Amino acid sequence: MPDRTSNGMQCHEFDTLLSDALDGVLSGAGLDRFEAHARTCKTCGPLLAEAEAGRTWLKGLTEVEPPASLVANILASTTGVDTQRLRTTAHASQPRVSWLEHVQASFLEPVWAMVRQPRFAMSFGMAFFALSVSLTMFGVRWQDISQISLRPSAIRHTYYNTQARVVRYFDNVRPVLELQAAFHGIKRNAPAEPGPAKQKDHKNDTTQQPEQKQDRNYSQSGGQVILAGDPLGPSVNDLPVVSVTTYRRFV
Amino acid sequence: MEDVQVVAMLVRRCIAGDAAAWEEIVQTYNRRIYNICYRFAGSSDDAQDLTQEVFIKMYRTLPSYDHTKGAFVTWVTTITRNLLVDHFRKTKQDRMTDSMDSTASEHEDAQPLSEQIPDQSAPPDARVRSREVSETVHAALAKLSPELREAVILRDLQDMDYREIATVLKVPEGTVKSRINRGRAELARLLQRTYRQVM
Repeated sequence: MPDRTSNGMQCHEFDTLLSDALDGVLSGAGLDRFEAHARTCKTCGPLLAEAEAGRTWLKGLTEVEPPASLVANILASTTGVDTQRLRTTAHASQPRVSWLEHVQASFLEPVWAMVRQPRFAMSFGMAFFALSVSLTMFGVRWQDISQISLRPSAIRHTYYNTQARVVRYFDNVRPVLELQAAFHGIKRNAPAEPGPAKQKDHKNDTTQQPEQKQDRNYSQSGGQVILAGDPLGPSVNDLPVVSVTTYRRFV
Repeated sequence: MEDVQVVAMLVRRCIAGDAAAWEEIVQTYNRRIYNICYRFAGSSDDAQDLTQEVFIKMYRTLPSYDHTKGAFVTWVTTITRNLLVDHFRKTKQDRMTDSMDSTASEHEDAQPLSEQIPDQSAPPDARVRSREVSETVHAALAKLSPELREAVILRDLQDMDYREIATVLKVPEGTVKSRINRGRAELARLLQRTYRQVM
């Protein structure tokens, strides 16, 4: 701004008083000098008019409404949702959930959703088929399982029946086991028949040394010499004749 | 505008962790801060983001507020102004704040803003409250330099006195008055091309 003097007032002084004049706080002799300078100065006169017009334009601007979500966004970005009002609102709108529903929602439903996938459904189907076949092979029937009584008297009755069945089974099997034991004893005491001498093929043996390998017999002492021609133990004619009558009792 | 003791108590409650006190501060000042940001940044989206940033910064620096040094609204406005300056530097808007005769578009043959604004024949007092005129003035305000713009926004739109504006802008009161006068005059010149018959 050029600093010129007009009516006893310089332009920079006019600029300083311009705001006060527009605000209406300038009065008296100061206002007269101010207005006189504005009338005569070619620079400050238009400046007064423009400043007054610009002020009018700006005063005409009204406040704009902030978006409705602004406060919520500010609270969320500063304190999260942990405000008094929002906490109350959240608790009021949230229904009570039992522990069973909580388990169902957090564990069972995700597992069930996974099971329902086609790749897992085929695997579970095969596993169920294998289990049912296995139970059928072992004589387990679903009707028997469904008819099982869990009353204490029924459980006690089932226990005694099972115990009696096991006792009868071993009573019936005992003669058979005794005969088997006797037969094994006789067989153990019978003389071993000499077998034909094995002709070992020594065509690959270039050392011409006797074979060092020996069959280890844990029933003979190591220092005893056994001749191939000697009979071992009593002959077959010396054995007693045992008549065996086997009868099988079914439980 | 505000009871110093009441605001000081509100701030102390907020620092102590009272969420309701903070919510009351947000409810009280969000409109004012949003309007400053909207008039300075020019768009609603930027104003929302900036307002949110102002409150985030305010929330973090609230313990540093000293009510003996100045009014809370001045402190809030200072935070807002500092963030607006940072935003202005980031967005490089100073290239677009010259004159309305300069083209707003990058194309050389694009129309200047003064020709884009439709010519109105009714007097300004009758039109100043209309939406179209408000948008026109708002667009012209965005063309002011940031120093002039912030001065006239704080004075004519937020009704702050010169001393508070000087505190916020960290300049002498004389400079504040000079910027306000030049800002008003520049705005009038920008709009004069459109509303020539009124001026």
